[in-house]
Amino acid sequence: MKPKRFLKIESIKKLQKYGLPIPKTIFIFDFQKQEKEIDEFLKNRRYITVRSDKREDTDFCPHWLGCSVKKAKNFIRKITLQGYAVILHEMVPIYRERASGNILVLKKYFFVELMGVGPLTWITREGKVSEWIKVRKNDLKEVSHTGKRFLKKKELKNILKLAKRVPPYRVLEFSLRPEGLYFWQIIEDKTSKNLE
Amino acid sequence: MPKKKIILTGIGASPGEIGGRVEIVNSSKEINGLKECRIIVSSFLTPDLLPEIKKNKYILGMVTDRGGRTCHAAIVARELGIPYIAGAMNATKLLSKNKEINMDGRKGIIYEA
Repeated sequence: MKPKRFLKIESIKKLQKYGLPIPKTIFIFDFQKQEKEIDEFLKNRRYITVRSDKREDTDFCPHWLGCSVKKAKNFIRKITLQGYAVILHEMVPIYRERASGNILVLKKYFFVELMGVGPLTWITREGKVSEWIKVRKNDLKEVSHTGKRFLKKKELKNILKLAKRVPPYRVLEFSLRPEGLYFWQIIEDKTSKNLE
Repeated sequence: MPKKKIILTGIGASPGEIGGRVEIVNSSKEINGLKECRIIVSSFLTPDLLPEIKKNKYILGMVTDRGGRTCHAAIVARELGIPYIAGAMNATKLLSKNKEINMDGRKGIIYEA
């Protein structure tokens, strides 16, 4: 039997492996053993983002996107006791994005789907997409564009240059913010082969 | 061959060509109640509706006002091999119950039958 995996944490590690920018992050598997590491991470911060991950569990996991440092340790302790691994990010507040969206990586094309501000689950779960772009992978030229334009073509090109490092049939979640570009998750989507 | 009249375009989210009658659905109860082959049209298919879609063998195709190729609904449609056009704004207004349509889930086009 395959060992159960922490899928969300693996996904963040893959983003790091492909050299895609992510917020400063640590993973907590054992509160007691890693307490010093947690204290070090919380030092000189007022708020952090706490996400969690459970082995092979794709359902809802507890999170606190804007958690005050004072309450963070209790929350982390509580959810580790419930069997979750904790993902601690430097806080990147939502609703300040210039654009957020998904990049579907195929062999020859990228499909980019964007919205303005808000959590990325609005796209995947509620379908709140306002811009759809198809881009040829080799020269990063737009093949088609529908909807509102959130990003300048040059900005999009720079993001897609990074996405070229990622193997096909994966979805990358990202947001472009005043302070920079962040990737949040990479998800394998074998069904996207049908879109080639 | 006569030119087919285009009713609406959207984003081709799951390939396949199919024709059939429209059923407007907005709840799992409505999807569950589907007992004849239909192309379902909805404002969007949220994750709570997807288990019903997976169970129902009468769904020929799917069209939604919102969404795109990276939404959960698109992934489920491709898994099941059901043609799906997402982001077809106004689909729920322009397509009425029992209207006969043809759809191309690759090009994202809905034609008059």
